[in-house]
Amino acid sequence: MTLVSTPSRAPYGREAKYDPLRADNAPITTYYDQPQLKKSHWGTRVALYIFIAGLSGGAQLIATAADLAGGEQHRGVVRRGRHIALLGVFFGPPLLIWDLHSPDRFYNMLRIFRRTSPMSIGTYILSSFSLFSLMTATAQLAGWRKAAQLTQLPAAIAGAGMTTYTASLLTATSTPLWAAAPRSLALQFAGSSFGAAAAALQLAGRVDGDEAAAPVLEGLALAATATEFVGALAAERRHRALGIADAASVNTASGALYKLGALGLGTAVPLASYAGKLIGGRPRPWLMMTTALAVLAGSFALRLSVLAAGNESAQRPQQSLRFARREKVR
Amino acid sequence: MIPDEAELTAGVKIEPGKSYGFFTDTTRCIGCKACEVACKEWNLLPADGLHLTGMSYDNTVGLSASTWRHVAFIEKISDGDGRATEMAPYQSNWLMMSDVCKHCHNAPCLEACPTGALFRTEFDTVVVQQDICNGCGYCVPACPFGVVELNMIDGKAHKCTLCYDRLKGGLEPACAKACPTDSIQFGEVGELQQRAHQRVSELHELGVDSAYLYGVPNSPGATGDLGHLNAFFLLTAEPEAYNLPAAPSRASNRVGPSLSFGLAAAAGLALAAAALFGWQK
Repeated sequence: MTLVSTPSRAPYGREAKYDPLRADNAPITTYYDQPQLKKSHWGTRVALYIFIAGLSGGAQLIATAADLAGGEQHRGVVRRGRHIALLGVFFGPPLLIWDLHSPDRFYNMLRIFRRTSPMSIGTYILSSFSLFSLMTATAQLAGWRKAAQLTQLPAAIAGAGMTTYTASLLTATSTPLWAAAPRSLALQFAGSSFGAAAAALQLAGRVDGDEAAAPVLEGLALAATATEFVGALAAERRHRALGIADAASVNTASGALYKLGALGLGTAVPLASYAGKLIGGRPRPWLMMTTALAVLAGSFALRLSVLAAGNESAQRPQQSLRFARREKVR
Repeated sequence: MIPDEAELTAGVKIEPGKSYGFFTDTTRCIGCKACEVACKEWNLLPADGLHLTGMSYDNTVGLSASTWRHVAFIEKISDGDGRATEMAPYQSNWLMMSDVCKHCHNAPCLEACPTGALFRTEFDTVVVQQDICNGCGYCVPACPFGVVELNMIDGKAHKCTLCYDRLKGGLEPACAKACPTDSIQFGEVGELQQRAHQRVSELHELGVDSAYLYGVPNSPGATGDLGHLNAFFLLTAEPEAYNLPAAPSRASNRVGPSLSFGLAAAAGLALAAAALFGWQK
């Protein structure tokens, strides 16, 4: 849907009685096209955090699954997954603290726990993920297999939170583009996180010359990107049903990034490439490595474009006021 | 200082444990902006500059970190089919409305705040504690009315405190005290709501059929699980004309569906991973 801004026009006081139950699609007269909401200040830094959080959480989950269900030939995946999880431990907290406007008071996040705030929930998810991932990696380095098996379980549970809580963070706001699609955004983020983790593990395995787990990781990346694709379709449907713009159409720059990066590199390329191999294409290592890189780039592009598009939608009164008409108490 | 001065100026004794708020009656607003000025003076808020917007007589544009009262000026120049050629005699063709933080019953900014800097006071108002806020900025997109904002100089979130310091001293908030037409009335929320309903029927009797309340229970503004708004309004045009959402919603209602759905997807993919690893073994 393309957005045409209606000209500024204030209502003539016909003294018509205001009917709160009027048709939802009745035209909206804005206040001289002034923004009705304030946008978030989140940009590249937070997009990078969401990407890294999803990647490391997904890697920890895959490593745990490989450790519990896999055989000896999957030990490489377990080791590399635990290492990739450390990205979130070492880069996650600094990125978030850097994004605060009074970073010297970051510890106030730990004063309280508020279950209505995904930012507060996420603080504890990231803290426990960091603690248990660090313990698991240390045990792995020291060769204490039993200890690592024990600490990986809480790390994996927190890792599941890392792949998806950031979608709740965005959706539990009044920003129309994010608030309109709580479930589909969660599906997109969880799928993209798993896809990125599987792609990174596959890439790391090939670099190490260990391709024993490659078919499993490719199958997993296929399932993850399919989940993400379903989420993207559901989000688009939901936005259309509410009469507001989706991430592909809210403005040109973020729309192009969403369509080419998130949908193209993040879902279309891997779906075609992995499905092609599954159907019986010849194994081409370069193609699989390129696909893995595309999945990673697409995962970052998804977060960057959804953040930018949401901020844009918050600035447009036609979007926020339309959303606030449709979002009735049900 | 006069003890319990609010008894003299607003007819209300301010006591902890009761709910206080504003009833802003837009039919009484003359657009003098005394509330904006009184607010800035009492709260020591900086000026916003001297630029002219050219869009109406409104050069303040909206609420911000340094503007906690904002008078909107809506010119009724169009009847939907272009410029109006006739206007009602002896009527101002302007709608004026002094906007402010709504101090929601279920405040999304407070529910979003991860540090507890935003809290509910003993007067049932919502205030940012400046010594705790760490500038995470999550309250900013959480607010369905676009009220709270970060100040980039001090790195903290700011909004109307309903003059928390004045209430503690038994004083009526600065904007309400300065309002020369009593368009802004301060008092106990229950009593203000009663007074507001009475004013609406009074206006209906006078022929102003368009008058209605925004933010009292079961009215526009008090939707989506927000409960009522402690600072509510009497309006005569659609809420959107005043830059107010018709049916705002409580952001935290979306945490449950989103988190459970996302975790279920993650669990499903983790099980798929385990199944694939087990199958290849």
